[in-house]
Amino acid sequence: MVGVWVVLGVLVAGGIAGGLLNARNGRIRAAKPAGRQLPAPVAEALDPDAAVTLVQISTTFCAPCRHTKAILEPLAARTDGLEHVELDVTNQPEVAQALGVLRTPTTLAFSPDGTELLRISGVPKGPAVMEALQEHLSGATTGPTS
Amino acid sequence: MSAGPAVDPRGPRFAAIVTTVVLAVVLVTGWWPLLAAQTVVFAIGAFIGLKPAPYSLLYRYLVAPRLGKTTEREDAAPLRFAQAVGFVFALVGTIGYAAGVTPLGIVATAFALFAAFLNAAFNFCLGCEMYLLIRRFVPATGQAS
Repeated sequence: MVGVWVVLGVLVAGGIAGGLLNARNGRIRAAKPAGRQLPAPVAEALDPDAAVTLVQISTTFCAPCRHTKAILEPLAARTDGLEHVELDVTNQPEVAQALGVLRTPTTLAFSPDGTELLRISGVPKGPAVMEALQEHLSGATTGPTS
Repeated sequence: MSAGPAVDPRGPRFAAIVTTVVLAVVLVTGWWPLLAAQTVVFAIGAFIGLKPAPYSLLYRYLVAPRLGKTTEREDAAPLRFAQAVGFVFALVGTIGYAAGVTPLGIVATAFALFAAFLNAAFNFCLGCEMYLLIRRFVPATGQAS
């Protein structure tokens, strides 16, 4: 009888967790407080000529990372001043730890001087990303081209 | 070592549904040999490959022919890693039940059911997305597959 209750409990908990995860997928969050040294692989990935560089933290074992890349890469290609870089941290988890990233994909937006502007958990939604980045892109660019 | 060729994403989803049913039956009946069999299924997927995994075979020969073709493909590495995570929980659960430490068996199986259900119902691979978190607590798993 205990087993039946455990199954019901797990299914209810799983239903709630799945609903929450779906709702939070692609959520844009404020940047984590600065003060830490930017890990070298991230600092090297930043494009000094781009107003915003999106650094996508991925691992080999992350299925949605591929979907995230498929959304962000074309978005960066057609937007002036926006760059996208994928950083595989499978063998360098200390980079993710230094950034306070626990799940993949997490995408961080940086200005050329290494200031974190915002971060996105899960698979992002293109229009929402553009809206959130508009103020950072508008100063340097004419915005998205087609 | 390569994780193998990319696969039809509906296969792993089907496998997650079967796994959810199997683990629920284990919890309801407490029949641990079924959990031992599921542990072997996880082990084949994680350590040998997705192609010879029993639920993949079921999908390929019984389900796929009834569905239309798809050009969508999913990388094998995340799926095999998830199978390895499932293997650990199922193994702990089997040992718990078999050794008479039933609460351990129930808790480990419940965690595996939770992950399988998230995968089956929401297409969310808990083990894959939590790799960094797992790696933080268990550094040795970093070189898996």
